[in-house]
Amino acid sequence: MTVDREQVAHRVDAERLELGGGLEVLLAAAFERVAPGGVLEIRTPSRAVAMELPSWARLAGHEPVDHASGSDGHLVTIRRGHSTRMLAGPLPPRERGPALRHGELHTADWRGGALPPEPDPQAGFAPLRAVPEAGAPTHHWRLSRRDAIWADDVGELVDQASGQQWDASRDIPWEAARDLDDTTERAVAQVMTFLAQNEYAALYVPAGFLPQVNPQLVELVLWLSSHVHDEARHIEVFTKRSLVGGHHGYALASTELSLSTLLDEHDFTASSLLLNVLGEGTFLDLLRFIEVHAPDAATAAAARLAHRDERRHVHFGISNIKRSVSIAPDMVGPLVAAAERRAAKLVSLSGLSPMLVEALTIMTAQSLQPADLSEAAADVRALMHTMERNRLRRLHACGFDDATARHLSDLHTPNLM
Amino acid sequence: MSDTELRLGAVAYHPRIVTIWERFRTYFADAGLPTDYILFSNYERLVEAVLDGTVDIGWNTNTAYVALDHRAGGGTRILGMRDVDRDWATVLVMRRGQASPTVTELSGRVLALGSRDSGHAAILPLHYLAREGLDVASCRLLRFDTDVGKHGDTGGSELHVVRAVAEGDADAGALSAAYFSAFRAESVPAVADLEVVWRSPDYYHCNFTVLDSLDRELAERWSQALLAMDHDDASLRPAMDLEGVRRWYPGDREGYASLETAMREQALLA
Repeated sequence: MTVDREQVAHRVDAERLELGGGLEVLLAAAFERVAPGGVLEIRTPSRAVAMELPSWARLAGHEPVDHASGSDGHLVTIRRGHSTRMLAGPLPPRERGPALRHGELHTADWRGGALPPEPDPQAGFAPLRAVPEAGAPTHHWRLSRRDAIWADDVGELVDQASGQQWDASRDIPWEAARDLDDTTERAVAQVMTFLAQNEYAALYVPAGFLPQVNPQLVELVLWLSSHVHDEARHIEVFTKRSLVGGHHGYALASTELSLSTLLDEHDFTASSLLLNVLGEGTFLDLLRFIEVHAPDAATAAAARLAHRDERRHVHFGISNIKRSVSIAPDMVGPLVAAAERRAAKLVSLSGLSPMLVEALTIMTAQSLQPADLSEAAADVRALMHTMERNRLRRLHACGFDDATARHLSDLHTPNLM
Repeated sequence: MSDTELRLGAVAYHPRIVTIWERFRTYFADAGLPTDYILFSNYERLVEAVLDGTVDIGWNTNTAYVALDHRAGGGTRILGMRDVDRDWATVLVMRRGQASPTVTELSGRVLALGSRDSGHAAILPLHYLAREGLDVASCRLLRFDTDVGKHGDTGGSELHVVRAVAEGDADAGALSAAYFSAFRAESVPAVADLEVVWRSPDYYHCNFTVLDSLDRELAERWSQALLAMDHDDASLRPAMDLEGVRRWYPGDREGYASLETAMREQALLA
């Protein structure tokens, strides 16, 4: 079959390029300028390349048409195949990328400030603005409704999480924790063991939700990943602090019971309430207390850095619930029911474990002298009041009325998390 | 199994054959032409199965088709072939910079060939090179008779051919242009420094063959259904890609003449 020179839709000069050496890239780009059924003419000085082009054309889905040799080289013509290279619509035209803030590209800005659309519940791992090819395997994401899991400032929170990473091996002055007296160190070891034990649940809960989130809600994926990563570091730092002084603490059964009920909650927003707002919120006050009363700089630094992370987690929880409740006020009932359900499983817990109360008191007193213990016990009692006051404040910020906030606060686990 | 179900025979030269035919089986059922598939380990057995009626349709290589048609006394019909089957060709490759201006200059040199039952990597190269004036008897033939019975479908012997040339064990090697391009696309290291020095005329490769005794109207409907497969159908594309086809064409005998001659010359037609 031959082709008239006039029928050629596009011409390309291969110069010294060979197949396998870049010519196939040039040809693929050239065929983008030829409509299906149109003819591309390739000039090459190489007889070897000219003889190899027909089978390349077939492999690429095109039809070899002709090969003519002359004194100035070889002309090979190939008709573009009719099947589309990609089973997808054309890529949209180039657009202006997202706005920068002083040269920085913030996650909150990459959608141009707009909320993500409600995603296709079967969507795949197509990155933002990518055009998905048809024929890919489909998914069935359990967490796919935007309004059920979104938080308005999740983009900012993602950036904060990235910007505030720290290193539990190097950013803590570990030497400072070496020389505490036996009594104080044993108390610190118990407090740190308690913290680390709780942080496991704080990791496992978001980690369980993460692979259920529709990847089109990518900010949520990034957020939960950061939450998981933060908690991994908290487990690490509190475990290291418990180890560094040489004493051991108890992993409490009452704590384990409380944490197991967090894992039982499979509703995302209810989990936001129980873990982020109530649990991690209460831990904010505990961590601040430990930072202030720490007997050594290592303990103080660990509590301070963990507190900074936990603030983000609490902020997300409040933001998520506030949005949910404002969009769907009838969400309040199920959220209260979730807290009641959890409390019912924890009826055997009568208060914060004496092991922890004693450890906090001794850690604060740094002695067993009655005068010191009296003052420290008052501080721990004051902490419990602070926790309650701030818990109510956070529940109000979620949008709950006074009575509901009081009810939810009263239902909260005596284990603190 | 319904009475009207057609039985198609194919050779299982790779596990993907099951994937392909499971999809095509559904396609033909949806098209109202239920077609079950039966897999064979070699083309000789498939040819026998077409002749004795075990299968209605054989998905044959060119070598199998010529043998079948010969044994059926020319009483066969072709129901379709792939786009790639219509301009199959053999190439001769050498190391870059060693290119021989004419094939006659390969006299006395070492020539690597694929499986002896491969039309494209053994039978046709000898036929065409002799026509071009090469004294084949003067050459030392380095044959790679792997996967015999598969007629070169696996590409295994052709990989040996390009490696033999790349490593200097052979001066030139014959293989299908399609496999050479596929090796290039897969960045097989052995082909990086090889180039094509000769290309045969085009000939046909595989086809769906039936005996003349098969109901003509049924065969025509099956052929039309085959030709209607759409590579732009996302549910069909993966299977069509595995089969190496973007579009099916009706077939004819024209492109098998050279192979028939070659097989007669080489006493391969009983």
